[in-house]
Amino acid sequence: MMTAGKTATRYDHPTASKQTRGIDPALAMRVPSSASSVRKITALAVFSLIAAGLYMLVSINPKYAAFAFRLRAPKLTAMLITAFAIGGATIVFQTIINNNIVTPCLLGMNSLYTMVHTIIVFFFNTASVAFTNRNLSFAIDLVVMSAASTVIYGWLFKKTNYNVLYVLLVGTVLANLFTSVQSTLTRVMDPNEYDALLTTLVASFSKVNADVIAFSLALMAVVMFALRRELSLLNVITLGRERAVNLGVDYDKTIRRLLLGVTIFITIATALVGPISFLGLIIANLSRQLFRTYRHSYLIAGSALFGMASLVAGQLIVEHVFVYSVPVSVFVTVGGGAYFLFLLTRGKAV
Amino acid sequence: MRADSLTKRYDGKTVVDAVSFEIPKGKITSFIGPNGAGKSTVMGILSRLIARDGGEVSFKGKDVTGWKSGELAKRLAILTQTNNIQMKLTVWELVSFGRFPYSGSRLTEQDARAVNQAIEYMELADMSDSFIDELSGGQRQRAYIAMVIAQDTEYVLLDEPTNNLDVYHASNMMRIIRRLCDELGKTVILVLHEINYAAFYSDFICAFADGKIAAFGTVKEVINAKTLSNLYGVDFEILDVNGKPLSIYY
Repeated sequence: MMTAGKTATRYDHPTASKQTRGIDPALAMRVPSSASSVRKITALAVFSLIAAGLYMLVSINPKYAAFAFRLRAPKLTAMLITAFAIGGATIVFQTIINNNIVTPCLLGMNSLYTMVHTIIVFFFNTASVAFTNRNLSFAIDLVVMSAASTVIYGWLFKKTNYNVLYVLLVGTVLANLFTSVQSTLTRVMDPNEYDALLTTLVASFSKVNADVIAFSLALMAVVMFALRRELSLLNVITLGRERAVNLGVDYDKTIRRLLLGVTIFITIATALVGPISFLGLIIANLSRQLFRTYRHSYLIAGSALFGMASLVAGQLIVEHVFVYSVPVSVFVTVGGGAYFLFLLTRGKAV
Repeated sequence: MRADSLTKRYDGKTVVDAVSFEIPKGKITSFIGPNGAGKSTVMGILSRLIARDGGEVSFKGKDVTGWKSGELAKRLAILTQTNNIQMKLTVWELVSFGRFPYSGSRLTEQDARAVNQAIEYMELADMSDSFIDELSGGQRQRAYIAMVIAQDTEYVLLDEPTNNLDVYHASNMMRIIRRLCDELGKTVILVLHEINYAAFYSDFICAFADGKIAAFGTVKEVINAKTLSNLYGVDFEILDVNGKPLSIYY
């Protein structure tokens, strides 16, 4: 994923263009943004680190430090994983569909997850091993979710020819459909079952699903390794289907595989902390605004770091200023909604 | 490059109907014809952008769909009219994508040279660091052509390269295309709406009507009042200007 970055630094080398038949020296400054991009990434990383450090250390009693760390470390890890998963997945998704205000959540991936999870509980019930064993439950969610969304969204993209307005329209309708199916199921469900189900469906970092952290990390590493070729093609995918095919990219297959990766990442994030809509929209667009480049290594890293910094800082405020009275997802939704309106009214987005 | 009984149907309607032709090597061939005659679809099929329903396109002895896409990209380039790139791209960055078939995302010194040459050839050197969405229509079109030049292919397919350009930029564009053929030895295939540009700047004309080829031959053979009147259903008058046929229609 970082290959583009390496290329960039190579090009900054002034000799690169001195050998090109004495072209004027202005041409030597090939990628003027790369040095400043590296600086911005570093600044973001430092900021995220400070937030993470504060989160671990703030108002800690030295006597019970080890205990506090044991409570805080899984939450922090989950937040970092979530930020990376949502930030990366959103950038990739936006590039696939060639539009910067679309997020997987807007197309109903969150609702799909909620529905899939509810269906599983409905048919197996909460006492079964498929629900009590968190890793198994996670694996089932993942398989069903990946299969369903590859079929649904793969078909949707192909059928609408990647026309963003159709995709958005159908996606919104689908999101409603999933929610309706889910609420129908919960209505006929045993109230105790529903109670157990609900705790796994509301986004909150206060009850992180820590059991699946190791599983998630391993899975993300596998997915990124399996998709390394497709990820390196993201810059070319930016040019659109026809140009990408012209340059020799197997476009449809690449898109299919990337879409599967996006689904898995969204599922991981949702399984860890529950659905947090809009976070992806905010961090992906902040990253695009800050870096103003097509290089996905920077965009993805920037998006993930924005996510880490904002989630950790937000959770810090929730825990120590509001003392858990407001979950962080409220901030994300309010802030995300406002930011979404801003992007829309700016008018360039669609 | 030879096409053999190409067929394409959309929702049961046949838009390209058993079209066969051979593209002369090292020459400019223009596809002309009324809207909906199937010109752009045929070009899409030639370049593997559009899947066909029948027939074959033989390119250097092998069917285009039989080529590895990456290998084909070193021999054949197509430029279409869709210009909605959302990303912030400078001219240099755009043109450097032309080297993708050769080096992927890791450009070499040789690639950098090719990109710089393409930019110089298109006289874009002083705006190579400008963002493409801040350029004028004519400059942007030249940047896209520069990308095709950087791709360094023997065959170049251009879908309505003069679309949305004023007379000055359009005729400039046609001269550039002529140079691609004469100086760089490329085989160029164009889809054109302006008959006079086709007549003045190409070697061969392929006229389409209703998904079939109405006429295929040298400019002199195809551009005459009778053929064109039949093709477009409009009265034509042909004048001789410097040995080239100029069409008058109203």
